[in-house]
Amino acid sequence: MSVVASGMARPRRAPPIPLLLFAGSLILYIAVALWTGQTSQLETDGWVGLLQRMVALGIVAVGQTFVILCGSIDLSVANLISVGAVGASFIMQGDASMIAPAVAVVLAISIVVGAINGAIIAKLNVNPFIATLGVGLVLQGLLSASFTNFAGSVPPAFQAFAYGALGPVPYSVLGLFALALLAWWALRTTKFGAHLYAVGGNAEGARLAGVRTDLVVIGAHVVCSVLAGVTGLYLASRLRSGAPWVGREGVYDLESIAVVVIGGTLLAGGRGGVWGTLAGVLLFATLDATFNMLGVPPYPKLILRGAIVILAVAAYAVRSREHVA
Amino acid sequence: MTTSALALEMRDICKSFPGVRALDGVSFDCAAGEVHAICGENGAGKSTLIKVLGGVYSPDSGQILIGDVERLFARPADARKAGVSIIHQELSLLPHRTVAQNVFLGLEPTRFGVLDRAAIRAGTVRLLKRLSSTLDPDARASDLSVAEQQVVEIAKALAFDARILVMDEPTAALDGRDAQRLLALVRSLRLQGVAIVYISHRMSELAEIADRISVMKDGRKVFTGPAAELPTSRIVRLMVGRELAQFYPPRSQAPAGAPVLEVASAGNRVLADIDLTLSAGEIVGVAGLEGSGKTELARALFGDLPFERGTLSIAGVQKELRSPRAAILEGVGYLPNDRKREGLALQRSSRDNVLLTLRAFAFALGRAKGAGMADAAADELLRQLDVRAAGFDQEIKLLSGGNQQKVIVGRWLVRDPRILIFCEPTRGIDIATKAAIYRIMRNLASRGRAILLVSSDLPEIVGVSDRILVMRGGRIVGGCDGGASEEAVMALAVGHQVETDAGEGANIGVAS
Repeated sequence: MSVVASGMARPRRAPPIPLLLFAGSLILYIAVALWTGQTSQLETDGWVGLLQRMVALGIVAVGQTFVILCGSIDLSVANLISVGAVGASFIMQGDASMIAPAVAVVLAISIVVGAINGAIIAKLNVNPFIATLGVGLVLQGLLSASFTNFAGSVPPAFQAFAYGALGPVPYSVLGLFALALLAWWALRTTKFGAHLYAVGGNAEGARLAGVRTDLVVIGAHVVCSVLAGVTGLYLASRLRSGAPWVGREGVYDLESIAVVVIGGTLLAGGRGGVWGTLAGVLLFATLDATFNMLGVPPYPKLILRGAIVILAVAAYAVRSREHVA
Repeated sequence: MTTSALALEMRDICKSFPGVRALDGVSFDCAAGEVHAICGENGAGKSTLIKVLGGVYSPDSGQILIGDVERLFARPADARKAGVSIIHQELSLLPHRTVAQNVFLGLEPTRFGVLDRAAIRAGTVRLLKRLSSTLDPDARASDLSVAEQQVVEIAKALAFDARILVMDEPTAALDGRDAQRLLALVRSLRLQGVAIVYISHRMSELAEIADRISVMKDGRKVFTGPAAELPTSRIVRLMVGRELAQFYPPRSQAPAGAPVLEVASAGNRVLADIDLTLSAGEIVGVAGLEGSGKTELARALFGDLPFERGTLSIAGVQKELRSPRAAILEGVGYLPNDRKREGLALQRSSRDNVLLTLRAFAFALGRAKGAGMADAAADELLRQLDVRAAGFDQEIKLLSGGNQQKVIVGRWLVRDPRILIFCEPTRGIDIATKAAIYRIMRNLASRGRAILLVSSDLPEIVGVSDRILVMRGGRIVGGCDGGASEEAVMALAVGHQVETDAGEGANIGVAS
């Protein structure tokens, strides 16, 4: 009387999305470099430059992956990045001894912002879109009221974060990949990771199974906000100072969401992962680099980017429809 | 009658929601190794009682004793830790995760702070073995059949050494054969000393499996007694508060009229060689196991999963139904499988829901109220259908499943289609409303409409239909007259091996 799994073959799975995106991006990059005759782009410096383009967006997007996986979203990251960048350079004021306190303050602010985002969503049951939009506006308001331009500067020692390198590879690139590895490990092997997928897949089901869904959502938002804070620190280091518009100018809120979704994570949560996100970031960096090589002016660039985001997500929709029997 | 110690005792539980007294001093108990069934109409308080037991709701007053110790559950996790596991009516598996990940959700063992995946997998294998299942612990939940998912739900419930297992209509979504296996599973768990609280609308099941039966009505428990002494007619009387004169309406004596729907050698990705004729005035039942293609047939006829081959004629004129809208324009109506997901605008009122289809074909910029039916007329229709709501402007999600279904029926009545397809029209619906829906179907047929009844509920198919088609592997494999025995229909559905071999063929795939 066993309920037997029948002999039916499980639906076959298409090759993993991250791999396709990685390969596609690299092929595109190499093809454009060869076609435009800019073979110097295929030497070490070119590759390093390509990877360096990934860093800022990559760090935020890893955080965004966590919140989207649990079925939430964070629109406050861009403004929190500005807060982090300005906060760091304002506190440091070019003084190397202030590096540690500045970093500590930025991370503390980020944790608080993440906890607030998560609590509004999980405890007050506010839609995450609205909750984080609101928190983002408050952050931007506070920041713009206090600063109008580049505030303070970071000491040379801190610039090593963005400009230092191990051999040819910048620390920041190594850091990004280490972060991705850590995030992958956490999602895959920790209880927190398993519960993140559970809450995103079926929040009520997870709650009935005994998962503290509220804590999971808050945790995901803290992770995301901390990584936004780290991105702010990185931008301060790279720009040598922080201005209240750096996050907005990078459109990190929408772009981080776009790369997560391009990477195959469901916007509704429950499925996806950090390698897909990183592949999405690589695709964006490749587009930037190839558009530069091709000399595409900025506005057509935006149009192409928009079209690619839509195409990528439509491709998933078609793909998943094929699975429906 | 129960000599063994009580595993569970609930005393004088009261629970009110704004405007409703859902539970009014309900006491309930269950011994280890006992199956105690609860029945009652929708809205009688069964689900609320279960949710109180599972820590989803906290009671306003009353006590819960687990193995003679009083417990207070603040959240579902507390109940699970105390050994109470609940399989809720809606399956709650995570579709993108594996069987093992689902089974141990919420109680994942860890080593050094990291998930102990070996232990999770081994634990799952052990639990599945206890359930005599050979499911692959690494299979994704979304790839499983409903019956297989149900097994995963049970494994999940047992993962935390459940002493008390509550099953809320576990067979509602299963067809006869899978339901039988589930019942066998329940029996074996009972032998293992698990206390089982079992909720079901299927009377035949209760007689088969329950040791004791309690009946609830309007938030109170009106009866508890040994199942052996309780004939079905008495249960029904206790639930409804009166005798149901005739559960299935009498078949019409008049011969069927002219054919309204004719399908010849039609097929698509799932279906093949479909030939069928549906005539005015008849109710044709479509039976089949899970995955037999019966739902897909309904969707094909409604243009939702269109035929790609063959011909389809309505009233003798060849048509192509490429979308639900096209089908509706040709006079086809469809009551979907899954009321909540496919049938209702949950946040809208009964009135809006009943007018939904009508408005969909009205002039887009016209006033919503002018779409051919005034509110007063809509209300009159809802009253005729005996929809019970605090008001017809109340959000429909607050209504019981039976009342929701009546609203969907009403939605089609206002368009008065020639052909109406009912998919699982009484799934999870109480017995009095079931009877009401059967009467509505028969009335429609006697007024010259053609009705297709697609259902997994065999007694319903046999009791209501004038003629029965049986599907297997995406094809119509045979037919019976209305009133044929359930065994005859089942034999066709499984392909003749009905008594001989119980180990095979339950999950007949689409490719047979």
